Amino acid sequence: MTKEELKDKVLNLSQGMLTYSDSGVFDLMFEVKPENLTKAAVLLRDHEELRFDFMNNITGVDTGEHFEVVYSLASLSNKTRLDFKVVLPYEGAKLESLCEVWKAANWHEREIWELYGIDFTGHPNLTRFLLPDDWDQGHPMRKDWDAPDFVRMPEL
Amino acid sequence: MAELRTEEFQVNMGPHHPSTHGVCRLVLTMDGEKVVAVEPVIGYLHRAIEKICENRTYPQCSPMMDRFEYVTAMSSDYVYALAVEKLAQLEVPERAEYLRVIMLELNRIASHLIFWGVTAMDIGAYTPFLYGLREREDIIDLFEMTCGQRLTYNYIRIGGVSRDIPKEFEPKCRAFIKKLRGKFSDYEGLLNENPIWLARTKGIGVLTPETAISYGASGPVLRASGIDYDLRRDDPYSIYDKFDFAIPTQKTGDCYDRFIQRLDEMKESLKIIEQALDGLPEGEIKAKVKPKFKPPEGEVYSRIESARGEMGAYVRSDGTTKPVRVKLRGSSYNHLALVPEICTDVLIADLVAIFATLDIIMPEVDR
Amino acid sequence: MSCTVIAFGELHGIFAWLHELPVSIGLPDSVQAVVMYAALGVTVFSVLSLFALFLVWWERKIAAHIQQRFGPMRVGWHGWYQTVMDALKLLQKEDIRIETRDKVVFFWAPVVCFVAAFLAYVVMPFGKGLIVADLNIGILYIMAVTTFTVIALLMAGWGSNNKYALLGGMRSAAQVVSYEIPMVVSLLTIIIYVGSLSMVDIVESQSGWFFNWFIFRVPFGPIAFVTYIIAAIAEANRTPFDIPEAEQELVAGYNIEYSGMKFAMFFLAEFVNMFTVSAIAATVFLGGWNGPFLPSWVWFMGKTLTVVLLLMLVRWTYPRLRVDQLMEFAWKFLVPVTFANLILAGVLKYLGYWE
Repeated sequence: MTKEELKDKVLNLSQGMLTYSDSGVFDLMFEVKPENLTKAAVLLRDHEELRFDFMNNITGVDTGEHFEVVYSLASLSNKTRLDFKVVLPYEGAKLESLCEVWKAANWHEREIWELYGIDFTGHPNLTRFLLPDDWDQGHPMRKDWDAPDFVRMPEL
Repeated sequence: MAELRTEEFQVNMGPHHPSTHGVCRLVLTMDGEKVVAVEPVIGYLHRAIEKICENRTYPQCSPMMDRFEYVTAMSSDYVYALAVEKLAQLEVPERAEYLRVIMLELNRIASHLIFWGVTAMDIGAYTPFLYGLREREDIIDLFEMTCGQRLTYNYIRIGGVSRDIPKEFEPKCRAFIKKLRGKFSDYEGLLNENPIWLARTKGIGVLTPETAISYGASGPVLRASGIDYDLRRDDPYSIYDKFDFAIPTQKTGDCYDRFIQRLDEMKESLKIIEQALDGLPEGEIKAKVKPKFKPPEGEVYSRIESARGEMGAYVRSDGTTKPVRVKLRGSSYNHLALVPEICTDVLIADLVAIFATLDIIMPEVDR
Repeated sequence: MSCTVIAFGELHGIFAWLHELPVSIGLPDSVQAVVMYAALGVTVFSVLSLFALFLVWWERKIAAHIQQRFGPMRVGWHGWYQTVMDALKLLQKEDIRIETRDKVVFFWAPVVCFVAAFLAYVVMPFGKGLIVADLNIGILYIMAVTTFTVIALLMAGWGSNNKYALLGGMRSAAQVVSYEIPMVVSLLTIIIYVGSLSMVDIVESQSGWFFNWFIFRVPFGPIAFVTYIIAAIAEANRTPFDIPEAEQELVAGYNIEYSGMKFAMFFLAEFVNMFTVSAIAATVFLGGWNGPFLPSWVWFMGKTLTVVLLLMLVRWTYPRLRVDQLMEFAWKFLVPVTFANLILAGVLKYLGYWE
């Protein structure tokens, strides 16, 4: 399956849930509205022509204007790959948890919750993870975060 | 007969424990010798590599990648370089690609040799550990000869490799391949048929294909569960499509299969190195990359098959000299998330065996 | 103790001299026995302590050479007094005592372990006439006192107030109690043959060439030897049966909270125990001090060290069993085999096979 075929197939099957985004340089990149997330994920995983059964990665991104959560998926049987992302506002960033769809999402979501402060509803265990248990300095991966002893690298 | 009153108790396995391969803490709920539940606690090795990368230029990030996964530092160098090259659509010289493949495969063997020794040691056989490190030493010597480093190479850079191999590299590498081929009978003779070894690993920690896929297990762990999937063949990067090699798989996905899987993979890696040495072309080793390197706007997720499984790097650029976001995905991260799933109702000795054969290393988890 | 043929280099004179020492210096009768046994005890204890130090060094060298390393090389020729220096270092170390320990039990555990390890040598025939006391219940006595070790390990596990240590102590109790049975039953076959529990009797009934050794002489000898060695490895807590201290599972097992000299006492006791089980194997199955040309104590030491070497080779080659597999192996395989062997020995005795 070439990339164009896959793109057409995803766009047709999703009935507008997934829209194409041109920010992906190498692989296909789609965009999903937060409210459609679980539905789109289940479609991508279960539809027999797509079969994205393998969750590679979830990345939280702070672009400086809003949050994005990028999901990277792969299909082991069709040997295809795609990414899709959800754009979230800074205030009250909240997403449905995909732990039930791909179990691999559990730890990735927990990490994003901790480092970005994006809430995942329905996640079984949102507790401190990479940071110390008594961490009280906010969400360090946000762009506006500055630790008291943090020194920025000089501009090149 | 009256029921005996029993009580579960908690044991902190780690952060400093001989068999947690780094500073991982497992909170075990135990019923006597039996492990009832496992709760991994991570973050002891968190160095905020991703945050540091956001404040550095693209070429400056690349030494950080060695620290991401220092057992196969070549892979983590490469996965970042690959992501940035995809972003900037850089053409990498062919000689550089060949050198990268040689180094990546050598590093895979080095990592599997450590795995082989450490797993044996975790199951109580001390001697293989030294044997594994002995052969790894030859590989490390090859690396040292090439780039001067023995652990954190920073050899694979954006656009190519940092320096060419010396003249002596090729004969030494070929001699090493020959030597290692001769050693496999030793490795197999030491443990593969040993009844104690079989009793300790056969049928222990069975990972079904469904669980493996759902938890995002990859690499040797996935293939040991019987799924024929290898990024070098199924999503070829670099020049892996030019080489002829087999993808070994196993059937049951227990500790023994995961152990054998890595032994088989080493043999295939040797084949790739040989072919790459045969076809090594002359030419440039690095594309021109300015220090103020600015890839165009966009985002990319690159993934490669490292020794432990799929290693990925998500890099996002906004057209400036610094990345907006670098996210590193280590396969150990997903494998560690598997541990609570397959480690319920096992003995503590089995837990150690499972942990060892998943080949989890902590820098990759904590970043 | 009369010796008719005295080979060159025999050391029994020393023991004879020690036996007569209190009389010759004119001590009163009431303290003669006490002084005599004290003198003998100090002699045996010092020799054995040095031997334990040697064994530590030897094990490290053997392990190193199996693993294609050199092992200790710096302190003396091939590091020969490395362990002496290690012991000195451990003596100087701070004795760390955790707050939550059980004070009495924690203190006495290494002492009990150390003493129990050396008690067996009261009846050990090191050579012709080289025995502290030839008790008529010799081998039974050895079996009884070596089991003290398990009490010490339990004490250490409990007294440390540490879960790893407790698990280690429990494991060692279960293991030693289980493997005691095949060990004793293996020895019983030979005792049936000899008809005496005295160590000297057992050795003297094997006098002559090597085909008189019980491992070759009687049909149940080889089986009894193999089962004894397996059980002995377990008794000495060594790989593949080293689960009480399984480093990768329990970090160090029962001795996890011990430091300095207390740790050294456990450590040395372990090597003394290994020497004990090997010495019993040499005495009961391999003819003890019997052998031509060389002095008897050389034969005894040679045979014992051969068995020790066997134990070391096993240790550095095999992986470790799991705790349930270990128990299964003891109760489902070793105990039936040894009892079948015992019945064989009894039947042969009844039929008058060797009269």
